[in-house]
Amino acid sequence: MAYQEIVSTGSVYKGRTSMWLYLFHRITGVALFGYLLLHIISTALILAGPEIYEGAEAIYKNFYFRLGEVGLMAAVLAHAINGLRIITVDLWKKGSDYQKSLNVVALLIFIGIFVPTTYRMITSYFDICIEKSSPGTTVVDCMVRPLPDWKS
Amino acid sequence: MQNTTRTDWGRRQPPIGGSNFELYAWFFMRVSGLFLVLLAAGHMFIMHVFNDTLNLDYEFVAARWDTPYWRTFDWLLLALSILHGTNGLRIVMHDNIANKLHRSLALYSLYFVSTAFFVLGTYVLVAFVRQS
Repeated sequence: MAYQEIVSTGSVYKGRTSMWLYLFHRITGVALFGYLLLHIISTALILAGPEIYEGAEAIYKNFYFRLGEVGLMAAVLAHAINGLRIITVDLWKKGSDYQKSLNVVALLIFIGIFVPTTYRMITSYFDICIEKSSPGTTVVDCMVRPLPDWKS
Repeated sequence: MQNTTRTDWGRRQPPIGGSNFELYAWFFMRVSGLFLVLLAAGHMFIMHVFNDTLNLDYEFVAARWDTPYWRTFDWLLLALSILHGTNGLRIVMHDNIANKLHRSLALYSLYFVSTAFFVLGTYVLVAFVRQS
């Protein structure tokens, strides 16, 4: 018998934080892989020249996509920091003894990086939008309009 | 069922006396993950924190790819993220698709898509020449 028979009598996992982190790691991983494929296509358009590339990029420059970018940053940071936590549990002798503390440490590191990053990404959006847009443009205009009114 | 051991649950058991592929795959995820923390998080910070994607234009990318170092950085990021992601999805598919035929179809589509995108990305990084 090349493979052992698979016998399932229910979930292997008993719940709790680390199991949810396992699921969370898979969901963010699959989502990031999907984004990676889109990102490769949109970047490949650069071979078609400046007009086509910047025309495609303009679609990504509204505020809704900025919120998406914040979500992307959250997924990347969370997957990276949780990955470092997994490596620590796997390779550090006492990792499994401290796994509950490691969950807290990982969360604190995530918050410590994600909060200032989000603040920067949101404020920078409005600074650049108002600086580049035609005079009289307000923060609300920057938030709701689908396309910016400046060229690159 | 007597003597249930932890391995009775595993779905990715290697054939008895088989290869160490799963061990190397496990190790690869750790090593590539460490590199990707630097490469992918670095890329995110360069694009979204130190610069802003609102300022991203043709000239920005062309200026970056004037140096072979950034092309190498981007190619490493491309190669490692596709390999890391493909192996991750392979494991997710093994764990969640019980039907053997569906699983094979999913896995072969995954390998085809990953190879195609790796080739496309590599081609862009090598073939790009600034149009002035």
